[in-house]
Amino acid sequence: MPRTGPAPNWTRQISRRTGLDVHSDRIRSIAIVGGGAAGWLAAATLARLLKPAFCEVRLLDSGQQLPGPISESALPSFHRLNSLLGINEQDLMQRTSATFKLGAQFVDWSRPGESYFHSFGSLAAKLEAVAFHHHWLRLHQAGLGGAFEDYSPATVAAKQGRFARPVADRQSVLSRYSYGYHFHAASLSVYLREYAQAHGVTRIERPIAEVRLRAEDGFVDALQLDDGSSVRADLYVDCTGGQNLPCQQPYRSPHIDWSHWLPCDRALALPCRGEGPLPPYSQSIARSSGWQWRVPLQHCSDSGYAYASRFTSDDQATALLLSDLPGVALAQPRLLRLSPGRPARFWDRNWLVLAGSALEPLESTGLHLVQTGIARLMTFFPVSRFSPNDLEEYNRLTIMEHERIRDFLILHYKATARGDSPFWTYCRNMSITDTLRAKIELFKDSGRLSVLEEEHFGDESWLSVLLGQSLTPSGYDPLADVLGIEEVTAALGFMRAKIRTAVDALPMHEQFIEQQCQANFMGAP
Amino acid sequence: MRGVAIVGGGTAGWMAAAILARRLGSGFGSIQVVESPEIGTIGVGEATIPPIRLFNDALGLDQSDFLRQTQGTLKLGIEFRNWARIGHEYFHPFGVHGTSAEQISLHQEWLKLRQMGEKHSFEDYSLNTVAARRGRVSGAGAGEAELWSVYSYAFHFDASLYAQYLRGYAQARGVSRIERKVVRVELRGEDGFIRALHLDDGTQIEADLFIDCSGFRGLLIEQALHTGYEDWTHWLPCDRAVAVPCESAGALTPFTRSTARTAGWQWRIPLQHRIGNGYVYCSRFISDDEAAATLLANLDGKAQAEPRFLRFTTGRRTKFWNKNCIALGLAGGFLEPLESTSIHLIQKGLTHLLNLFPDRNCAPVLLDEFNRLAINEYERIRDFIILHYKATAREDAPLWSYCRGMDIPEALDYKIRHFRASGRVVRYGSDLFAASNWIAVLMGQEIWPERYDTLMDQRDTGQLQASMRRMRRTIRQAAEAAPSHEEYLAAHCRTVPQ
Repeated sequence: MPRTGPAPNWTRQISRRTGLDVHSDRIRSIAIVGGGAAGWLAAATLARLLKPAFCEVRLLDSGQQLPGPISESALPSFHRLNSLLGINEQDLMQRTSATFKLGAQFVDWSRPGESYFHSFGSLAAKLEAVAFHHHWLRLHQAGLGGAFEDYSPATVAAKQGRFARPVADRQSVLSRYSYGYHFHAASLSVYLREYAQAHGVTRIERPIAEVRLRAEDGFVDALQLDDGSSVRADLYVDCTGGQNLPCQQPYRSPHIDWSHWLPCDRALALPCRGEGPLPPYSQSIARSSGWQWRVPLQHCSDSGYAYASRFTSDDQATALLLSDLPGVALAQPRLLRLSPGRPARFWDRNWLVLAGSALEPLESTGLHLVQTGIARLMTFFPVSRFSPNDLEEYNRLTIMEHERIRDFLILHYKATARGDSPFWTYCRNMSITDTLRAKIELFKDSGRLSVLEEEHFGDESWLSVLLGQSLTPSGYDPLADVLGIEEVTAALGFMRAKIRTAVDALPMHEQFIEQQCQANFMGAP
Repeated sequence: MRGVAIVGGGTAGWMAAAILARRLGSGFGSIQVVESPEIGTIGVGEATIPPIRLFNDALGLDQSDFLRQTQGTLKLGIEFRNWARIGHEYFHPFGVHGTSAEQISLHQEWLKLRQMGEKHSFEDYSLNTVAARRGRVSGAGAGEAELWSVYSYAFHFDASLYAQYLRGYAQARGVSRIERKVVRVELRGEDGFIRALHLDDGTQIEADLFIDCSGFRGLLIEQALHTGYEDWTHWLPCDRAVAVPCESAGALTPFTRSTARTAGWQWRIPLQHRIGNGYVYCSRFISDDEAAATLLANLDGKAQAEPRFLRFTTGRRTKFWNKNCIALGLAGGFLEPLESTSIHLIQKGLTHLLNLFPDRNCAPVLLDEFNRLAINEYERIRDFIILHYKATAREDAPLWSYCRGMDIPEALDYKIRHFRASGRVVRYGSDLFAASNWIAVLMGQEIWPERYDTLMDQRDTGQLQASMRRMRRTIRQAAEAAPSHEEYLAAHCRTVPQ
């Protein structure tokens, strides 16, 4: 017999007549602070998921933005946003001068002259229930098996400058990769802004003069604008990255600094004319006091240098960047500040910091973290104007997520043989987090990967970077030995050939873009 | 690696032998199981959870043959009686509620309608529950209509027969069985690793890896290596059990039943040929004689044997893997079978062992990773079991008054607090049980959220009511069209009467 127990013991007022608005103290308005790609991404998503009658969404665009980045890179997780918002990829790419991203090439990180790819894809299937990479390690230690990258369809395609969307047929090796995007940042902001505004988001273009707090509980009461008007909301979502806000910030929780692990705290960026065919990947090149990026857009190449101000001056950094551009500079370099670390609490009272952690762009996690932050806000949408439990759980998960990405980033700096500059000597010798150390030690023993909670980057990503940065394990899973070495050599040889043949038939990236999504945008870079 | 020695031939020992025989090649030396002829298997009816099917699949077992050989039946969930309060019952189903795996906020929708006065039980939205209550089953995973993706099942079987079945499997694949008693465990002087097992016939067994499946006493992990034990009886005070099989009467239920009693709880596990029963109790609150009398007074049919008594201490070894010894099953720890996790914990230990399979040095990093994973899993299951004791309104007996008032682990307290506040289920990475399981037990034990997810108020109430009505009907119709448990067993795997 199905049970019918007593009704839940509701403690609050109940409206049985309509069933609507029983939560009389719920969140009815959200103000997003900051109008870059992060802010408009948040606005577009909230506008899609919240009916205007249920919750009003406004965005404060200060109008006097510090210069932002030239490009924004998106991980494959951006596809979730496309399908949630109903974005047409072709339209999006045409209007944002975008290119496809199969991954990133890392040059000179482990030592000068060596490079590797971190591409988006999944590992080849297990053989005899043993993970693929152990079979490769076994062959590799016997001087066989080719390069690990030869088994990644995305990397093989990237190296040849080829691109097509992956296929759905799981039997094909071309189903085993994914892709992200490189966007022109300002155009992406506009694109998302238009979406958000069409879905009911109000844009307020005035600088904030003061953040007013409630004396009794420290909640933000209102944002006072420079014309004397003010904006009040139940919840404030900070997408400024900590910039463009009045300097007294009692409502912002303290910043936990990670610059001893992630020493790059500044960046210079400028657009250049792109030379040669459009690569379907970005580059990150290790330099004397940081690393240089090259991000291909359809109309230009974003070139930048992220560096540690402890080890080099702005002038030196500028000189280094300008001495090594991929093409003619189209503007003066702009200075960007990075603040590696995280807020102690991402969500504190009614102030939620969405894009404030400013992890460096080394693994293109910026947009991704805004997406997951908003998704998590919807999962833990406050049941009332003050719901400490929702906030607590939001913070617990967000902190774990950031710490996992932090460890992945630290790995790039730590796992190096470079000692050719004080910066690299520092990185090589620095102490690292316990969680990362345990991972590295486990991997070095026999190639095992330890997966922690809330890990974004999966086995293939960790393997790409661990092996790419020359952390070669001394052993491998002994159970790989159940297969004869000739058998494995043949199977892996076959796999490599299959990938090569399949990739050889793909179109060139540039040609693919020309045919499918050439930018109809030719605005100023 | 020059060979693996497994001590103990119960369910754990033969599960280990079978999967190692399946996965290890000849290059790993011999696999030997030392089984004392004097020690019987604790052969009670055993209930499992759905991942057991992955284990059987990894061995390549045929489901019908397996059920035939082990007197097995299907299990769709557990019925809990008298837990929240006397006279109350609820069902903890496998699978998920709703008609598609994506309906992650279904219980929030239900809470909203409930608040508006709708009377339908949340159980009406679980295909597993609705089918189980009608004695209907499906014994196939994939290949059916999409609706059945929300459905899942496990098995009841005779644990001794399962061990025998796997013994045959393992021996056919080269595992040797040595029916001897271990009289001495010899450690290596230099590093304290186990070097050899000395048997009662004067022979010895050497190996590089030892798997301790010797049961509660932990012949290797504790008696030889002195690993240590973490005691959890302040959270889970039951420390004894008495078990007895009885004759079946009436139709075979496709679920386990757990009935809370004065000083513990009684299990009822239906097998093809009989019903396994037991009373798990706390010796502080009841004598062995009283417990046995209670059990015998609450059987479906005639008892088939004298009641057998077991003693245990709930908790776990401080390390499951120590030196070159891995403890599985009862040698690793004990959690009462309230959520049928005993075999799963063995299976999980074997999965980790195979993923982290060592060479003869047993590198400390492998041990650390194994122990980290196993300890987290153990603790999350522990918390799920504690929830059943903690969330009760019973005050009719000292055990229940104690449990109501006891402090609980922080991770569990945090989960309960969140669920009460907003109906949201906190998820930990090492959780075995999914949100749907937690929701079934939390609400089953009458922990009601104070509020539902406010986003539900964006939805049109009329549409919501209509879609929930359709869902109930779809589920009911699907359940009624499924074969009965009896029909399924008769068609696929009825044991030939002996």
